[in-house]
Amino acid sequence: MAGSFISLTAGRLLFAAVAMLCGAQATASTFSADPYPSTYRPLPRHDTLIKGATILDGAGARLDGGDILVRDGRIVAVGKTLPAPDGVDVIEASGRWVTPGIIDVHSHNGTFSMPLTTIDNEASDVSETSDPNSADIWVEHGINMQDPSFSRALASGVTTQQILPGSVPVFGGRSVVVKTIPANIVSAIKFPGAPQGLKIACGENPKSHYGEKGMFPTSRMGEILAMRRGFLAARKYASAWKDYRSGKSKTAPERDLKQETLAAVLDGDIKLHVHCYRADDMATIIALSDELGFRITAFHHATEAYKIVPLLREKDICVAVWSDWWGFKMETLDAIRPNAAFVDAGGGCAIMHSDSPQVGQRLNIEAAKVIGAAHQVGIDIPPERAIRWLTSNPARALGLEDRIGTLRPGRNADLVIWSGDPFSIYSHADQVMVDGAIAFDRSDPKRQPVSDFELGRKPATGEH
Amino acid sequence: MRKAMKLCALALALSFGIASLLSLSARAETVAIVGGTAYTMTGDDPVENATIIIRDGRIDAVGAGLAPPADARVIDAKGRIITPGLMAGGTQLGLLEVGAAENSVDTSSNMDTLGAAFDVQYAINPNSTLIDLARADGLTRAMSFPGSAAAPFSGLGAIIRLDSGADIVERAKAGMFARSGGGHASAVGGSRSGGWVLLRNALDEARRYKKRSGPGAPRDQLLNHLDAEALQPVLKRAVPLAIWAERESDIRQAVRLGRDYDISVIIMGGAEAWRAADLLAASDTPVILDPFVNLPSDFDQIGARLDNAALLQKAGVRIALAASGWGLKISYNAGLGMREAAGIAVANGLPYIEGLRAMTTGSAQIWGIADHYGSIAAGKDADLVIWSGDPLEPMSTVITSFIRGEEMALETRQGLLAKRYAPQHANDAWPAAYK
Repeated sequence: MAGSFISLTAGRLLFAAVAMLCGAQATASTFSADPYPSTYRPLPRHDTLIKGATILDGAGARLDGGDILVRDGRIVAVGKTLPAPDGVDVIEASGRWVTPGIIDVHSHNGTFSMPLTTIDNEASDVSETSDPNSADIWVEHGINMQDPSFSRALASGVTTQQILPGSVPVFGGRSVVVKTIPANIVSAIKFPGAPQGLKIACGENPKSHYGEKGMFPTSRMGEILAMRRGFLAARKYASAWKDYRSGKSKTAPERDLKQETLAAVLDGDIKLHVHCYRADDMATIIALSDELGFRITAFHHATEAYKIVPLLREKDICVAVWSDWWGFKMETLDAIRPNAAFVDAGGGCAIMHSDSPQVGQRLNIEAAKVIGAAHQVGIDIPPERAIRWLTSNPARALGLEDRIGTLRPGRNADLVIWSGDPFSIYSHADQVMVDGAIAFDRSDPKRQPVSDFELGRKPATGEH
Repeated sequence: MRKAMKLCALALALSFGIASLLSLSARAETVAIVGGTAYTMTGDDPVENATIIIRDGRIDAVGAGLAPPADARVIDAKGRIITPGLMAGGTQLGLLEVGAAENSVDTSSNMDTLGAAFDVQYAINPNSTLIDLARADGLTRAMSFPGSAAAPFSGLGAIIRLDSGADIVERAKAGMFARSGGGHASAVGGSRSGGWVLLRNALDEARRYKKRSGPGAPRDQLLNHLDAEALQPVLKRAVPLAIWAERESDIRQAVRLGRDYDISVIIMGGAEAWRAADLLAASDTPVILDPFVNLPSDFDQIGARLDNAALLQKAGVRIALAASGWGLKISYNAGLGMREAAGIAVANGLPYIEGLRAMTTGSAQIWGIADHYGSIAAGKDADLVIWSGDPLEPMSTVITSFIRGEEMALETRQGLLAKRYAPQHANDAWPAAYK
C-alpha cells in the first residue's frame, strides 16, 4: 500500500506524507515543528488544599488568610475559607506565603554544568562558537541532566526554566523550556507545547570573541549586518517553501536548518530573546525588527532598559534583568538597581532573570534589591506587584501565560509555599509544587532530589 | 612683584589652612545620634534608645538614653538600626574599574619577578566609582587583595578606608596572599602538590635569606630578593598569610603549613572548611568565606553548603566574609553583596549577631585593626551606619554613614543615573544630558 501510494505521487507529496507521519513540516508552523517531543509526566500527586496563607497571585493581587485548592495538578479555586473536599491533603499555611512557581527565563543549567572543569574552557556546551550564525543548534541537545544546579533551583522555588544557548554567536540557537524536576533525559522535563526561543546577541560578546580570532564580526556594525543577512536569507527561504507548497515551484528547496529557525522567528512561531545591554543597541535591534518584520519577545540583561522605557512599552517588549550586576564590561557601566522598577513603573514588562545558577536560586532576592533601590528614589512597590517580575511576566515572555505564572483556576498548580515574605533574605521555600506534585519539601529529606553526580560523595547537604 | 608673590604665598597658605581646617572641622564635628537601636558589637544584645556621641572623629560615649552634649549636632535615629561601618574581608576595591577593560584593572601582576613582592598599595584609586557604591551600601573599610595571576603567591593586600580623602590606604602590606587548589594547579606545573612544595620552599628560602648577612643567593634559589624580603614579615607573624583554599585537603595543608613554619594563616574561600572546623578552631585559623557558595562549581567545592558559616562559628572558628558572587559582587557590589551573604548565612543557621560580627569586629580582628575599628565603643574610630531597616535584608538601604566621624556623601553614578532617568522624566522635551 505504501508502495502504491509512493508510485502515485511525486517527491513533493512523499515529503508531505513523511512530514505528516512525523507530525512535522506540513503545517503553518513548518519551521518550528519539534521532532523531539516532550515525554514529561507529572510526579505522583495528590489533591491538596492549602489553608490560611498570604497569597500573592502573580497577577498583581494579594489575599491574606487565603486558601488554594489543587485538583489533578490544576488550581481549581483561590479564596477565603474554602471547604476541604473529602480525601484532599490539607496544608496549614498560616503565617506562610504562597506564590506561583518562579520562572527563570534565562538559565544555563545543564550546559554551564556543575562542576566546571578545564574541558569547559575549550569546549563548553553553553554555546556552539564555531560559527557566528548558530541558529541551527538546539540547546536541548547539550543538557546534562545531572547538573546539581537543577535541584538547587527547585529548592529555591523555581518551577520553570528557559535554558538558552550562550551569547558568543550572533545567532545562538534554539532554547528549551523545562520543568525544574529531576529526570535522566531531557525530553522528560521539556515543558509540553512550550514555544521555543531563539537567542541572538548584540554588543561586546560576539565581536570580542570573533574579533580576537580575526573572524567576522569584529564590530557592532558587523553583528547587525549578520542579523540583516540572516533574516533576509530566511525570508527568501520561507518564500521558496511557500512557492513549493502552493505548487508554484516544482522542486522542494533543500532543508537549511539555520534558515528554518530564522524563518520560524519571522513567522512568530519561535520567540526572539535578545542578549543586549545598551539602550542604543536595543533601539538598533528594534529598528531592525521593523525593517525585517520580526517580533522581539524580550531583551535579556538590558541594563539600560530604563533609558528607553516608552519605546519598549510601545513595542511590547519585555526586559529580563538582574538587580545589581554592573561594571564587569563596558556595556554594563550604566546599570542601575531600580532598572526593573523603572520599566514596571512606565508600564513595561519587567522580569528578573538569573544567567547564573547562583542567582537562579534567589530571584526573589533579586526583586527585593530592586524594591529597596526603587524606594530610595521614591517608587514604592508592594510585594504583590514585584512578584509579577518572577511569575506572570516571565510566563508571558515564554508564551505560557495561560498555563503558568498566576494562581488562578485552570492554571497549572505550580506554586511555592514560603516560610515567610518571599522578599526577605530569611525566608525559605518550604514546599515547591509542580503540576500539583510536591517536588520539593524542606522538612522531608525524601522530597529533596539529589543528582547522580552528588551521590556517593561525602555529603554536602544535611547534617554532617 | 615680590609683594604679589608674597600675597600669593599667603593666599596659598590660607587656602591650605582653610582646606585642612575644613576637613578637620568635618572630622571634629560633635554629633549625637539618638533614639536608635545600636548594635555596638561589644555584646550580643543591641542597645535600645541608644545615644552615640561622636567627637574628634571617635566614639566619645555610647549608652541608652544619654543626654546629647550641648555642642552636638543631634541626629534622630528613632526606629532605626545603627551598626559599625562594615568591613569586607576581601575585595578588589580601588584596583579595578571595568573588568573586561584590562587597562582599567590593576588587580594582579603576571611578571615572574613579582610574586610575593607584588603590592597593590600603589595602584589604589580612591576615585573609583566602585568605592562610591560600596560606601553607599554601608562599607567603610575593606581588605583589597591582589589577584591570582602569579602562583603560588599573588602578593600583598592593603586595608583601605572608604572615606573621601585622596589617600585611602589605611594599612599597606596588611596581608600576604597565596593560592592553592585545582584551579591554579596549571600555574604550578599541573598539580596542586607543586604549589605546596613551592610555598614551603619559598618560606624556607625567605628564612635562609634573613640569616645570610652578605649579598648573593645560592645559584639555584627560586626566590629573588624582592620576594624573599616581602616574606620576612610573614615569618615574623607580623603579616598573616592568606591562602585561598576551597577543598578540605588544601585547607588542612594550609593549617599544617602555618604550624610547621609558625606563621599566621588565614583561609580564604574555604568552601569545605566546615569539614575541618575542629582543626581550624583548635589552631585558631580564621576563615574568610563566601556564604553564597552552595554548588560544586568545581571539584574543589564538592562539599559546598549554605550552613558553612554556621558550622564554623558553632565550632569556634573566627569568620569574616568575602562574598564573591562569582566575581560580580566582591568588588562591584562589595557592600550589598556582603550584606546579602551575611543574610544567607543567618538564614541558614548563623546567629544574627554573628552575621553582623563577621562584617565588623570579625574582619577587623582577622586583619588586625580591631584596636581602633569595628565596634561602637568609646575611643574607637567613629565608623557608623544608620540603616533604613535590618542591614541583612537586601531591601534595606543606608540612611547615613560616618567614617572617622565624618558624614559621608552617599552620591553614586548609579544614583545620579536613576535621578536623571526617573520615570517622571520619561517625556521631557530636553535630552537627559541636560539634566
